[in-house]
Amino acid sequence: MPASGNPTVDPAAAASPGAAAAARAAARSQLAPLGPGELTAPIVVPNTLWRAANPLAYDGGRPAEITHLREFGLTDVGRRDDARWGALQIVPTKADYILDLIRANSLWPLLSGLACCAFEMMSGATSKFDMDRWGMFPFRASPRQSDVLIVAGTLTTKMSGPLIRLWEQMPEPKWCVALGDCTVSGGRYKRSYSTVQGIDRVMPVDVYIPGCPPRPEGLIYGMLQLGQLVKDQRGHWPEREIGPTVPDKI
Amino acid sequence: MPTRPARPTTRAAGARPARPVEPRPSEQQRSEDDPRIMLDREISADLYEPIPPYPTRTEREGEFYTRGDGEMFINIGPHHPATHGVLRLVLKLSGEQIVDVDPVLGYLHRGVEKICENSDYYHVIDQVDPLEYVSSLFQEWAAVLSFEKLMDVEVPRRAEYIRVLSGELLRIASHTLYIGFLALDLGGLTPILYSFIERDEIVEMLAALTGARMLFNYFRIGGVNGDLNHEFMSRLGDWMSRAAKQTEADAALLNENEIFVRRTRGVGVLDRATALRFGVTGGNLRAAGVPFDIRRAHPYSIYPELDFNIPTRDEGDSLARYLIRVDEVRESIKIIDQCLHNMPDGPVMAKLPRLLRPRPGRAWGACEGPRGMLGVYTISDGSDQPFRFRIHDPSFMNLETVPTLLPGNLLADTMTIVASLDPVLGGIDK
Repeated sequence: MPASGNPTVDPAAAASPGAAAAARAAARSQLAPLGPGELTAPIVVPNTLWRAANPLAYDGGRPAEITHLREFGLTDVGRRDDARWGALQIVPTKADYILDLIRANSLWPLLSGLACCAFEMMSGATSKFDMDRWGMFPFRASPRQSDVLIVAGTLTTKMSGPLIRLWEQMPEPKWCVALGDCTVSGGRYKRSYSTVQGIDRVMPVDVYIPGCPPRPEGLIYGMLQLGQLVKDQRGHWPEREIGPTVPDKI
Repeated sequence: MPTRPARPTTRAAGARPARPVEPRPSEQQRSEDDPRIMLDREISADLYEPIPPYPTRTEREGEFYTRGDGEMFINIGPHHPATHGVLRLVLKLSGEQIVDVDPVLGYLHRGVEKICENSDYYHVIDQVDPLEYVSSLFQEWAAVLSFEKLMDVEVPRRAEYIRVLSGELLRIASHTLYIGFLALDLGGLTPILYSFIERDEIVEMLAALTGARMLFNYFRIGGVNGDLNHEFMSRLGDWMSRAAKQTEADAALLNENEIFVRRTRGVGVLDRATALRFGVTGGNLRAAGVPFDIRRAHPYSIYPELDFNIPTRDEGDSLARYLIRVDEVRESIKIIDQCLHNMPDGPVMAKLPRLLRPRPGRAWGACEGPRGMLGVYTISDGSDQPFRFRIHDPSFMNLETVPTLLPGNLLADTMTIVASLDPVLGGIDK
């Protein structure tokens, strides 16, 4: 589990923002305003689905009233770096419109095998199926160097903490692929007392690949679909659901 | 543990750690920046050290988490590219030398035994598949052997031949993967590419036979699910024409590699007495000089009729464990050859009722998997579900020796020793 837990808003103190808001306003005024059309035009995700690791991002963790990121970027609060993607350590710009094309063709997965599906994942990476042909080969051992988290195998409650930490350590932009029935819905361990019934309970998932385990062709097809998804979502980052959705109790 | 080397300890055994470990704070406090927000208290960097965030519970734990002079902890896993799954090892190091090791298991505990006890006898075979996921037919085989003893079922001879044929094929697949992963953990990328060529070929032909590449669900109580078909036989014929030559070539890649041999010879010596005391079975025991193989010691199926050797070695080190696997691949090819030549005609399933209700009783069935003795102990209370379904997994016994083998070795040899013992975490955590 992440080091800093989920912040909870105290309803009694909600009415009086106090001096902190004034301090933030003062800090805001020191920032240089951005010119229109700069590459760093901000794109912000409304924080309705998840809680950031840093609770002070997104204006104190409140659910945003603004749903369109462009509007939010024009406001003063939106110009603050840490108000945009500060918690995620990223500022998507118009350059990402081009960069996502590159990312889509070179998705580097994290080498994180949990159970049976890991062998089909490795089979897809080695001689016969050779995912390298689509630029997906370099299975990185470090989450800092990878784009895609392929959750291959049953996620148990004990392993979910380390896996969420891995997901948080991956730099944005990142995507998640649920490989196998266990990660899609619980699969054959739907009745088990110790597994997570589908990893979308603990993290956002972009591509689901069912099968027990799916064939390597299934994984390759899913990764190609993910590449298409990345291309399709260019310029539509606001619609993407990102960040860890870490419940208090799994 | 008697074989762990004695080391000087300045503190009494079971004393509290020198560095007091506080329980994880649970109180919340108000954020300084925004008073509306309640934060968990700042958690120190100690959380990321592998010290458990609770007071030590056992004497052994207190001994392990007490640091001596110049000692440090290093955490390996559960996410690590070379741990063969989600194994976690907490190593206590003095310099580069391992002083002690605390294996943490349970990251893949899926509650299979409990699920099996709530399934009827036909469904259990499907549920045990993902335990030994590299070679799942053997796990089915153990369960099926136990059930057949419980119910006095006679298996047709053709079904027995098909079981042995598919099982030995999968044993070769498992052993070639073992060889590849051992080399991969030592830093050689090439052998795993050759291993997966063989493994994919075998698994594809088993997919033609069973319908699945990995979790086969093929064995049945009293037989197998389907007869041999044309695609399987043609794929098998193609593969057998080059199997012996190809596996020799793959093994030569490592046998003659000086780096590999020097990094495995004499590393992690598991002597005969220790192996027997820990209940180690399979190739790891045979590498220590004990010619124990369930196929010979407690014969089942048609193995008494087949002609094959039990390779043994005396060294007991990582290289011997690797060479045993290479020899076993040769023996398995011999067995497959005999099965193909002597395959009888006939049915592949015994006649059984739809709902199995064995008499109350208990039965132990064991078979020789690629990692050792896979056993299943079933207790029936007369209903259509097993009252108790106990799974004995060889990987667990093999992994038990790690705290004995590692101390005294260098950190770089950790992965050699763990990989040469060939643990599969699905079976260990169940």
